[in-house]
Amino acid sequence: MKEELEKNPQSTISSSQVFFIHVCCGLALAAGFWVAHHVYSLNLVFDPTKTLCLIWAIEFPVVILLFSCCRQKPEKCSYFTAIARGLLGLPVGALLNALGALALGAPVGLQYLEKTVNWSLLMSSFTFVPTACVYGSSWTDWRRIFACTKPNGPLEFMLCLPAHGAVIGAWFGAWPMPLDWERPWQVPSPPYNSLCLRIFVFTLSSYVSLSLMSKTGKDFSCYLCSFPCSNFAYLLDILFPFSILRTPFHL
Amino acid sequence: MWGWWRFGKWTVLITFLHIIAILIFTKGFLLTRTELPHSSHCSDLSQSPCHSSPSSSSCWTKPAVDRLIIIVLDALRFDFVAPSSFFEEKQPWMDKLEVLQRMASENPSSAKIFKAIADPPTTSLQRLKGLTTGALPTFIDVGNSFGAPAIVEDNFINQLIQNGKRVVMMGDDTWTQLFPNHFNKSYPYPSFNVKDLNTVDNGCIEHLLPSLYQQDWDVLIAHFLGVDHAGHIHGVDSTPMIEKLEQYNAVLEKVIKELQNQSGPGKLHENSLLLVMGDHGQTLNGDHGGGSPEEVETSIFAMSFKDLPSLPSEFDSSSCEPSKNICISSIPQLDFAVTVSSLLGVPFPFGSIGRVNPELYALAVCTWNLDDDKTWNNQDQTKLEEWFQNYANVLCINSWQITLASSNKGIRLDIAAASSVIGFSSEDLFRISDLYSKADENWSYTKNLLSYKNGSSNTSLPVLKRQIVAYSNFLSYVAELARSKWTEFNLKMMGTGIGIMLLSLYCHTLAIKKLNKSYGVSLLSSRDSGISFGLMLTFFMVLIRAGSLLSNSYILKEGKAANFLLATTGIMTLRYSFIKNKMLIEAAIFLLLTFIFRIAIEVGLYKQAATSQFMSSSSSWMLGISISQSLWTYMAEIVPILALIILGYFLYKSISSCCWGIPKYVIMGTILSYFLIALHWISESNILDLAHFLKGFGKNCIPRLVYAITLVQLSLLAIVPMFSKEETSNCRGSLFVKMMSILSACSSTIIILQGKQGALVALGSLLAGYCMMRLQGIEQHTVSGTAGISILDPLPVLQWSLLAVCLLFASGHWCAFDGLRYGAAFVGFDEFILIPQAILLIIDTFGFSHILSVFGLPLFVAFPSPFNQTEHKSLFPIKLFWIFMVYGLITAITATATILCVTIQRRHLMVWGLFAPKFVFDVVGLILTDLLIFVASIYYFNGVEDRIGNAELRRLW
Repeated sequence: MKEELEKNPQSTISSSQVFFIHVCCGLALAAGFWVAHHVYSLNLVFDPTKTLCLIWAIEFPVVILLFSCCRQKPEKCSYFTAIARGLLGLPVGALLNALGALALGAPVGLQYLEKTVNWSLLMSSFTFVPTACVYGSSWTDWRRIFACTKPNGPLEFMLCLPAHGAVIGAWFGAWPMPLDWERPWQVPSPPYNSLCLRIFVFTLSSYVSLSLMSKTGKDFSCYLCSFPCSNFAYLLDILFPFSILRTPFHL
Repeated sequence: MWGWWRFGKWTVLITFLHIIAILIFTKGFLLTRTELPHSSHCSDLSQSPCHSSPSSSSCWTKPAVDRLIIIVLDALRFDFVAPSSFFEEKQPWMDKLEVLQRMASENPSSAKIFKAIADPPTTSLQRLKGLTTGALPTFIDVGNSFGAPAIVEDNFINQLIQNGKRVVMMGDDTWTQLFPNHFNKSYPYPSFNVKDLNTVDNGCIEHLLPSLYQQDWDVLIAHFLGVDHAGHIHGVDSTPMIEKLEQYNAVLEKVIKELQNQSGPGKLHENSLLLVMGDHGQTLNGDHGGGSPEEVETSIFAMSFKDLPSLPSEFDSSSCEPSKNICISSIPQLDFAVTVSSLLGVPFPFGSIGRVNPELYALAVCTWNLDDDKTWNNQDQTKLEEWFQNYANVLCINSWQITLASSNKGIRLDIAAASSVIGFSSEDLFRISDLYSKADENWSYTKNLLSYKNGSSNTSLPVLKRQIVAYSNFLSYVAELARSKWTEFNLKMMGTGIGIMLLSLYCHTLAIKKLNKSYGVSLLSSRDSGISFGLMLTFFMVLIRAGSLLSNSYILKEGKAANFLLATTGIMTLRYSFIKNKMLIEAAIFLLLTFIFRIAIEVGLYKQAATSQFMSSSSSWMLGISISQSLWTYMAEIVPILALIILGYFLYKSISSCCWGIPKYVIMGTILSYFLIALHWISESNILDLAHFLKGFGKNCIPRLVYAITLVQLSLLAIVPMFSKEETSNCRGSLFVKMMSILSACSSTIIILQGKQGALVALGSLLAGYCMMRLQGIEQHTVSGTAGISILDPLPVLQWSLLAVCLLFASGHWCAFDGLRYGAAFVGFDEFILIPQAILLIIDTFGFSHILSVFGLPLFVAFPSPFNQTEHKSLFPIKLFWIFMVYGLITAITATATILCVTIQRRHLMVWGLFAPKFVFDVVGLILTDLLIFVASIYYFNGVEDRIGNAELRRLW
């Protein structure tokens, strides 16, 4: 793959590659959950800090290794530089995510610090690290992808949509937090059983849409429709911890 | 005015519709109960069919108890008192009041633990009212004056005083508020400081034990607050709570020991009754107010110091714990007033709908003594019969009193009004009188039987029992009916109200559409200005906010939810400023401000009960931690004053740029007010030794002076423009000056009412307003080259209204009646006068969130948008009006959603605890917003048409 990318400098990416990367990220996520659940018998509800820590610790290396393969201008920037960029991007992105979460109402205080840090590290590895690996600190690219939302080509879509999906999913995950869960319709379905299924659906849909896209040229609408929707589904599950972060309301 | 009317007729129409809809809906939703000034008298009994007692000395019933000691432990959970074996598992806070359990198990015939069921709302004041009047609580007490809620209804304490009993009170000062002139002696201690666990309790303990030896009282009330406060601060499962309970146990042990020592024949407490009771329960977090079992279930422990036989089993409703020999029966709190009245022999409170509880009654009424062998010999049989007769007689009086209170067929002439006491319909009244007349017939038969057969008790006992059952049925039916009526709604009226409300929303959107059209037409815009992203986002936000009101927990956390949405819009604008690469600093400051507001809201929410202290210590409000170091206290004193100085400086800058005429004097007046406020705060604090310097000045002088300055400013602003028509070429400039002058005029009063936090909140909202004004229209795509295409964008208006909600919560209010800051009503006044105090309270509550917000709306017009420089000058009155309309619409949608949610959740547990107060707040806020928009539009439009000219306005329409 690496050699392949190096051949065409303005790196395009084939749909099978996108599929591969998504599957790996999804599997890493699933593996994180599996390890937390079965090896350490941890749970997002009862021990969010450790579970989140475990998940991002497994997810983050996979993300950084995979996305560094798709780096821009591979002739100028080695694989290890890309990894270094990703490593640097992790705390920066975590800081930004934490600031956003605090602005939206995550609790302030030393006792919540650990949870917030772990959550923002996980969020950072979804949103910030991939782009950091691929583009480094190129401000124009960042601005194009995240501020203007004008991604160009499948690679940028692959960076832009999951990141947006993660943020929007986090927002939707945070919104129903004050609910008291006392009514039947408020009780969420058992989230973690369906997780693997959802990850599967998510990767499958992204693959289908990407292949559609590559055939029909610039028709991104399918991609736009299917991708974030499935993304939301699993992000809602992941971002349930956000609600745990904010549970300690003492009224 | 012609020009104004063209726009303003919509405002008038919508306000009118809102008021009609709210009136109709409220009539169907909120049951109000008028409190009657009637009271029962001794002499009334001659009109009753009941067997009046032969001796003339007694009143309604024969006194069974000479002295009564009531020890109220605030927020006493049922499981504090009941043995832990009654519950599934033993918790650390159980079995701490073991002296009560020991007494109840050692002498089950003279001491007993009851589970008392309170009626929500379970707040101390409402509960004390319910306990003493024996009536159901009112949601809004008609005739209740805030701050000094003295009971006007007939009540137990009132009856005691009327009948010459002497009452001593110690502890919680709520009692002295409720009964200002009733106590012979009282030792009240302030109850509002929840962090203080000991003052009230130590005061009680100090006076309680010595009082037991004194002879100058008949009824002693000691109200301990420590458990309530410990719950509020630390929760139930905490060491302070357990320490408190252990302390109480020691005190109760001493009290019971003393009473037992004094209980011999001829001694002081020969015929005394001890009641240890809670007024309501609390949840594990220490909250109370709602209707959940934890909050409603409290306990009564009753003990008399005589040896009494146990009650015949047919009236014993208790559930027993065989291993510990303790029986617990349950008693509605409604029954307390009548039962205690009957024991003391005073007339029953007029409005009471309770029943004399047989078990509590039997604990104290001693008419016979049972021999040790526990066989019913002949003498006991007569004694028993006597007891039954006595109790039947009491129930007869009880039933008669209830029919008096609930039926318009009563004996008194003015009783027609009494049917409204409980709100019964005529059918119910008919059913009641039917039941009563049956029981009554039975009674006359029984009475005859008794008078003829005075000796043979074998037959009269079953008859008496039947009689008692008949009366009990009647009484429980009445109480049940009263409760069910209390939660019955008139759905037709509610539906009509909602319908009219929806109609008003339709009118609102119609008006906005019309404004849009006139704006769009005059622009000759080529593009379809239909749906922008801002519009969609606004719709989404308003909908999501409206939907959230369906959940009670969202209502509790409304401030945080609004702040969440505000921060979301802030993040959106930050994103747009990234796209445009402009205004980055403003967007960041705006986000920072929402963060600061959020902290303020959180601190306000954190201990809602604690917010009443904000007047005295804003330090905890500012930092959310208890501050002891002197440095922090200095900071807490100085920072608000600094904020005030900065505000004054802003004002000074603003007049230095445009100084002419009246506005200049108005703003100068405000700066003077700020100076006075700062002086006031300094004199209150101890930083500088100014207190004695200002002593002669009087602490009420400065607030009153500030009020006077505001009044003068407002009247100047209202009157002067009518006479002087100053021509200014710059419409925007004059609008800005007008806005600044009215905002500054209002702000000084609001700041002094809000206390030190007021200055900070004012500064924060000023900054936030500035950022919003700078950022407005940032997401619009400016088409390069084409002149002045501006889509009216509702997003800033939405932000402004969300900010207004946040300000309400950030300034330490919340949508409940205990969220009102009563202290604000007494800034500048010492005594209570209804009208000025009510006005001050309204200004304090709605000051930032409604008054300043509505008057500050022209902010978005007064400055040219940096993204839209070429806007047509003549259009800004339309834009201003459009902003007013959109702001009104957002408020109206939220209020409509509240109304709908209240209707849907009318059977919810928290309907009276959360939904109804929220409804009242929203509805009052909506009407206030409507009226303010009306006033503001007149104020801002006055003179506008002169400048623009009628002709042009007509062209626009």
